[in-house]
Formats: sequence, C-alpha cells, structure tokens
Amino acid sequence: MIGILIVFIGAVLVLFLGLNKPEGGMKTLSSLVLFLAGVLSLLESLSILNFERLSNWAPKNMIDFSKGDLMFVSLLAFVTAAIIAIFPTVEEKGSDRLGLMMLSLTGAFMMIGADHLVMLFLGIEVLSIPLYVLAGSDKHNLRSNEAAIKYFLMGAFSTAIFLLGCAFIYGGSGSLSLSEISLRMSIVGHLSEFPALIKVGVILMSTGLLFKVSAFPFHFWAPDVYEGSPNKVTTFMAVVVKIAGFVAFANYLQAFEALASWYSKWLIILAVCTIIFGNIAAISQKTVKRTLAYSSIAHAGYLLLFLITPMKANMWILFAYSVAYALSTVVLFYFNDKYSTKKEYGFGMFSGLLKNNQSATILMVISLFSIAGIPVTVGFTAKYYLFTSAFEVSPLAVGIALLGSAISIMYYFKAFKPMFESAESNTNEAHASKILFVVYLMVAASIVFGMFPYLFERCF
Amino acid sequence: MEIIILPLILSLLAAFTGSKINKTVWGLLSFVSLFAMVYMKQHYGIHNDGVWHNTYDVPWFSNGIHFTLGIDGLTGLMILLTNLLVPIIILSIQTNNQKSLIPLILFMQAALNGVFMAKDGLMFYIFWELALIPIYFICLLYSSKDAFKTTIKFFIYTFIGSLAMLASLIYLYLKTENHSFAYDELLSVQLNYSESIWVGAGFLFAFAVKIPIFPFHSWQANTYTNAPAQGSMLLSGIMLKMGLYGLLRWFMPMAGESIAFFQPIVILLAVIGIIYGAVIAIKQNDLKRLIAFSSLSHVGLIAAGFMTLSAVGIQGGVLQMFVHGINVVALFYIVEIIETHAGSRELSKLGGLAKFNRLFAALYLIVVLGTAAVPLTNGFPGELLLLKSVFDYNTITGVFAGLTIILCAVYMLRMYQFSMLGEGKASLKEIGLMKMIPLLILVALVIFIGVCPQLIIDQISPSIQKIMLEISNSKGVLS
Repeated sequence: MIGILIVFIGAVLVLFLGLNKPEGGMKTLSSLVLFLAGVLSLLESLSILNFERLSNWAPKNMIDFSKGDLMFVSLLAFVTAAIIAIFPTVEEKGSDRLGLMMLSLTGAFMMIGADHLVMLFLGIEVLSIPLYVLAGSDKHNLRSNEAAIKYFLMGAFSTAIFLLGCAFIYGGSGSLSLSEISLRMSIVGHLSEFPALIKVGVILMSTGLLFKVSAFPFHFWAPDVYEGSPNKVTTFMAVVVKIAGFVAFANYLQAFEALASWYSKWLIILAVCTIIFGNIAAISQKTVKRTLAYSSIAHAGYLLLFLITPMKANMWILFAYSVAYALSTVVLFYFNDKYSTKKEYGFGMFSGLLKNNQSATILMVISLFSIAGIPVTVGFTAKYYLFTSAFEVSPLAVGIALLGSAISIMYYFKAFKPMFESAESNTNEAHASKILFVVYLMVAASIVFGMFPYLFERCF
Repeated sequence: MEIIILPLILSLLAAFTGSKINKTVWGLLSFVSLFAMVYMKQHYGIHNDGVWHNTYDVPWFSNGIHFTLGIDGLTGLMILLTNLLVPIIILSIQTNNQKSLIPLILFMQAALNGVFMAKDGLMFYIFWELALIPIYFICLLYSSKDAFKTTIKFFIYTFIGSLAMLASLIYLYLKTENHSFAYDELLSVQLNYSESIWVGAGFLFAFAVKIPIFPFHSWQANTYTNAPAQGSMLLSGIMLKMGLYGLLRWFMPMAGESIAFFQPIVILLAVIGIIYGAVIAIKQNDLKRLIAFSSLSHVGLIAAGFMTLSAVGIQGGVLQMFVHGINVVALFYIVEIIETHAGSRELSKLGGLAKFNRLFAALYLIVVLGTAAVPLTNGFPGELLLLKSVFDYNTITGVFAGLTIILCAVYMLRMYQFSMLGEGKASLKEIGLMKMIPLLILVALVIFIGVCPQLIIDQISPSIQKIMLEISNSKGVLS
C-alpha cells in the first residue's frame, strides 16, 4: 500500500509543481520519490518495516499485497526510477510526462496487488491511459502520433474484451473476488462440472492480458508502438507494463487453478508460437529498437511458460526472470537511446565503440549476454529456473524455448559486428561521453544476481 | 579451486594493466597454476585410486546444486594439459598490439579448469559455456578475415549443442530422487530405453559439435584458419578435449542404457571423419587448414576408441588426448613462426626453409613425426592402442581406421617437405632463442612421452577402470 500512496502523491506533486516547467527540474524529485517507494516496499516485504495500519485502510478483498507482490512493487519502482534517472530529459516544457509515467506506475501496482476483478480492471486502465498520452508525447514526430493512436485503439479494444470476460466470470461463478472465485471453484472440483461461462470468461480475460504483455497472436501492435514512442516511454512499456501484466496474469490464473489442465495446453501453444515468432521476426529487423521490440515479444513467450507451472510456490521464479529481463532491457534501451542519431538508428550506431569507449563496450556485452541467457549472468539463472520448472510440465515446449534462445543469439550478437570493427572516419560523437553510474550499478547487479541466485528464493 | 581462482585473478590483473607488462612475464606468471596443481595434490592428499575426490563443495543455487569440484587421474591429466599449454600459448604471442588477448586466454584457462573439475551437472554446463565466451572474443577480435561470420557460426553451433546438453542434464536432474545435480546422483538415475536415447542424444550432440565428429564439423576449418594462432591452439589443443572428456565422463556413464544404440553410429561417423579429414588434409595449401583437417582426423580416432568401450581403447584415447594437445599446439606454433618469419603460410609459396635454421627444422621434423605416430614419439602408443581397440570391435572398421597411419604420414610429410625442403621460394628470418624455448619444451615432451607412455597410463588407469565400472553398472554392455 505504501508504494501506491507515495508514488501517487509524488505523481500529483510532479504534475502540478512541474506544470509548464522543463522536465529537468522534476527529474531528481520524481526519481527520489520512486526510489523511496521502492526502498519502503522492499523493507516491508522483508518484514523489517510494517505498514499494517495503512494496509487496513484498503478493503481487504479488493487489494492485498502479499510479500511476493511487494517485491514486484519495489522492483518496478526501482526500475522506473532508473529509467527516469538515466534517460536524457526532453528539451521542451513538459514535466507532466514524468507525472504521467508515475501515475501509470500506480496502475501497475494496482494490477499487482489486485484481489478483485474490478480492481484488476481499474489497474489496467490506470496503467494504460497515461501510456496512451505518453506514446504520443513526441508530438512533432509523425511516428509517435501513429504509435499513440494505434496503442489507444488496440488498447481500448482489448480492455473491452477483458471487461466482457469479467462479466462472463461473474455470471458463471457469482463473484468478482479472486479468492472467493478460487474457493468456489475448489468446492466444485471436477473439470466438466464448471459452467461454460467461466471458461469463456477466462478466454476473454486472458485475451485482454495477452494483449498487454504482447504475446502471440496479439503482438502486432508492439513493434510499431515501441518504435514510434519516445525511447523513455518504450523502455517503460517494455519493462514495467510487461512485468505488471505477467504478475497480474499469474495472480488471476491462480484463482482458476482448478482449470489448469485445460488452459495450460492452450498456453503452451501460445508460448511456443510467441517464442518462434518473436525470435524469427527479430532476426531480419534493421533498427535496434525494432529488434528489441521483437526480443521483448520473445521474452513474453518464455514468461508464458511460467504460467503453466505451479505458480503459487514459484512466484520467485517470475521475480527472478523479471529482474533479469528488466536489468538488461533497460540498459540496452539506454545505449540505443544514447547512440542513435537522426541518420543512424540501425546497428551501425555502435560502429567502432570498442575503440572509443571500452567501458561502454563491456557494459553492453554483459547486458547482451544476460538477455541472451549466457552464464554467469542473471539472465542465465532466471532462464534456468524458468525452464527447469516448465520442463516438468512440457519438455517439448522447453526444447523449443531452448532453440529459441539459441536463435536469439543471431540478433543479439549482431551488435558485436559494428562494435568491434575498427572505427571509420565518421565515428559517433556520443560514443565518447561518460556512462552514468546507475548503468554500471545495473550491470553489476546482473552479474551479482547471476552468481548468487539463491537471493531470489530467500526473499519470498 | 585454486587453479580456477588464480587464472581469474591474473586475468583481471592483465586486463587492468593493459600492455604495460611484457607478455613474457604473463607467460611465466601463468605457470603459477601449474605449481598450484602440485600444491593442491599435496594439500588435499589425493590418492590416485580412481575415485573422483571432492576438493571443494559448497551449496550454490538453492535447490540441490552445489559448487563441487573433484579431482582424479583423468581430471588431473586434463588440467595438467591445460595448465601446461596455456603458458606456452601465451609465450607464443608474437605481437604486442593484441591487448585483450592475454586476459582472455587466462580467463579461458580458469573456465577450462572448471570444466574438467566440475562434479555437478549445472556447474559443468556453466563452465562449458564460460569457456566458449573468451574463445569467441579471441576469434572475433583478432581473426584475419570474415571475423563475424565465422565466429557467429561457431558460436551458434556450439551454443545449440550446449543447450541440448542442458536439456539432458535438466531431464536427469528432475529424475533424481531429491532433485540434485551432483554427479553421483545423476549417475544413479535409472532411465528406460527411449528416455536414455533422448538424454544421450542431447549429450552426444553437444560433444559431437565440440569434438567435432564428422557431420558436425563444418564450423571447424574456417574458425581454425581465420582465428589468430593462439585461438587455434586453444581450440584444438584444449577446447576440443572438452568434448572428448565429456564423452567419456558424462555421456557414457549417464546415458549408458543407450550406448548400444549409439555405439555403431558414432564409430561409423568417427571413422568416416578419420578418412574424410585425412583426405582433405592432403589437398590443402593453407597450413592452418591442413592442421584443422588433420585434427578432425585424429580426434575421430579418439572418439571411435572411446566408443568401443574397451579398456584398451579408452586408455589409448585418454593418452592420445594429451598427446594430440601437445602436438597440435606445437604444429600451430610452428605455423605461426613460419608465417611471421617467412611471410606466408601457404605451401605453394614456401619451400627450402630448412637451410636457414637447422634447429628449427629438426624440431619441426620431430613434431611431424610425432603427429604421424612414428614409434618412440608420443603419437605412437596412443594410436596403437586405439587402432587395436577399433580393430577388435570390428575388423572392417579397423582396417579403414588404420588407413589413418598411411594418410597421416602422407599429409604430414607433404607439409614438411613443401615447407622446409626442396627449392627455396621463401627465406626464414632469424628466430630468437626466446621463441624457440616453448617449442623446445613441447618437443621434449613429444620424445619423453614417446619413450615412457606408461607413466601417463599408470596415472589414468584407476580412473578409467572406475568409469568403465560405472558404464557397465548403468546397463551391461560390458561383460
């Protein structure tokens, strides 16, 4: 609860204080607020601090943060703080962008903690509406406008489907509270005795969430929207929206655990399709941003495999994967933003990086290794945990996922070619500039978590 | 543990000091690991009784995954090879402008030591992958041409192989009683026939790519040819042994139930590889390419010997692994010297180099004879044992595998003849004494092992007996 409260107050403050002021002024304030929210949630989840009285304000059956949920909350708060801190500010006036981003984060928190379908729906909306604005916040750029309208239309459509699903579930089970539904379903017991309404509801709701996490076959918006939106917003979408979406997905599917044998075979098919499609489409992309967009689709595929495992005991695996994915994705988007120029936004932007900036090269290499899942990075440990737990359910799907990660090498390592080339005459000026401390910290974290992976399990 | 930490520290030091310190110093410093090995043997009081002794064991990943290192005769021989060759490889560096080369080689040494000592499935996989990373960068940064294309092929090929192995390991892991990756636990898993074929195929694919066995070799020639000399040495001298070691230590005991199924296939492919590699080697003009294909031919014989499952074959194979490491590094070193001192490594542009430096010519000849398995050189005992085992397995296969002796002599002597003898097309510049020392060490080993191979066989035979016992426990092909 404390996380939502702080971030929401911070968002309102930043919105009003920063009205008509340049973004730079509010940058420190907003990242500090987010950092504070992250620290407090982390401490609460480790039972060092206790905000019970605060949590009691909220109706228990609507929103309830378990210890694991709080870990996710603090992760997302830290990641957003890092995104705001490392990406350069926009020249023109508009601190409201930071405020909107924080508002959107509040929605993500609501999705994570939701114990009620109405709350889940509210969370999705609070997450999405600021994002529709943010996607188009680069208003003079035609592509940004395209992204906004595309995201808005698709998003509105998928939310409507989600809402329809809620209605069906209410019709089938007589309740909207997830714990209540789960209780009633466990009493009914046998699969064939469930009213078909519930199955239809689950399908419709899953459609809405699959859209949010950009999984096959609802992924077509992602590359266009990711490419058109400003880099900072793209990173936020790729990381925060995806993680929050998966946590919400996992939380709500847990209520329908009695149906697991039915939905998991569909999820396996979707996961396999997402992995194959995301990885193969990424190979032929020319721009770095689109490659990362398709890579994020592929990662959605791996994460879908998580949903077929027994989730309740395995939430820490989802957390480990989220950490791995967030750390490397943010760093890679950061380098893409830093080195892309008006003329060059393909892989050529890294040309001659080794010669000009060795530390940046090392940071990028480690992040690429991590996102590709090569030991000793956290990307490997997370993938290892995920695949091992999914292996028991479907060895074939894991086999395809392994093949997918082998294919992913082809496009992640594409960056190495220009990086290690001897620099040509027209070197990128941005190469010489210093890398922020936060980026070093994130890359170091991805190695430390890779070497001491038991930290994750202990936290849950 | 020491011999993993030490090279890592040295590697970091080398990375930070850059090229300020002479490469010779690093070469000498890396000998430290060799002494650390001796210290380890004293410190842990290890008896060579065939048991794979734990030297280090701490819990690592939360559930049943330990950071376990073990040492026995087989592992000991492999890490001896690694720690012996790495300093020589570092000393063989000719130029000073390859700044990242020394840190990468030292990092590789740590990973290779880890591969050979890992006694836990996941650790084995992690070190296996870690060993791939430095060699990938060595090839990418310092390849002569087409760096990206050849290295990415190499990387993806081996990466798919290792992922297949990971799948097999995870499968075994989930089958263990209390979910553990420990070697002995994995070993105790009972698989049914079809399961064991899948698990075995996963292991075999990873090792077949690395060794490489015939149809999986297509990455090899280009990678060896384009890589810098040190990269080729690491790849063929040590890294290739990872595959053979894995075959012996992991594939055969773990998927023993399926050996009857894989045995004829692998032996057939290996024998095809022996002849295929040798025939192509005869036609090569580029010295490095020639060695690459000769290497394919030699390791094919080792793999075939292992798969016969006879004590003779496995002993000969392990001995030959050590010997091949020394010979092939010596050959690549000679090629490197010829290339830098005579200006080319193409046979058509060389010839008559012997008269410029008699000592070099003599050493070169000894290495060539060693590779061609002339008696009293190191190649002979291993090859004899291997051929005997293949012959015992099946006479016709034995006859074909035996062709290697003739073919190897053909391409090796051709290599020597066209580069050193005959009319002089090129001239050899003065070779400094420092550059001869590594070669002298290697040649001394060629003769020493040739004269008394029993020293090594005594070291490895208890472990081999143990491994053969494990294989026969897991199914009963051996009687």
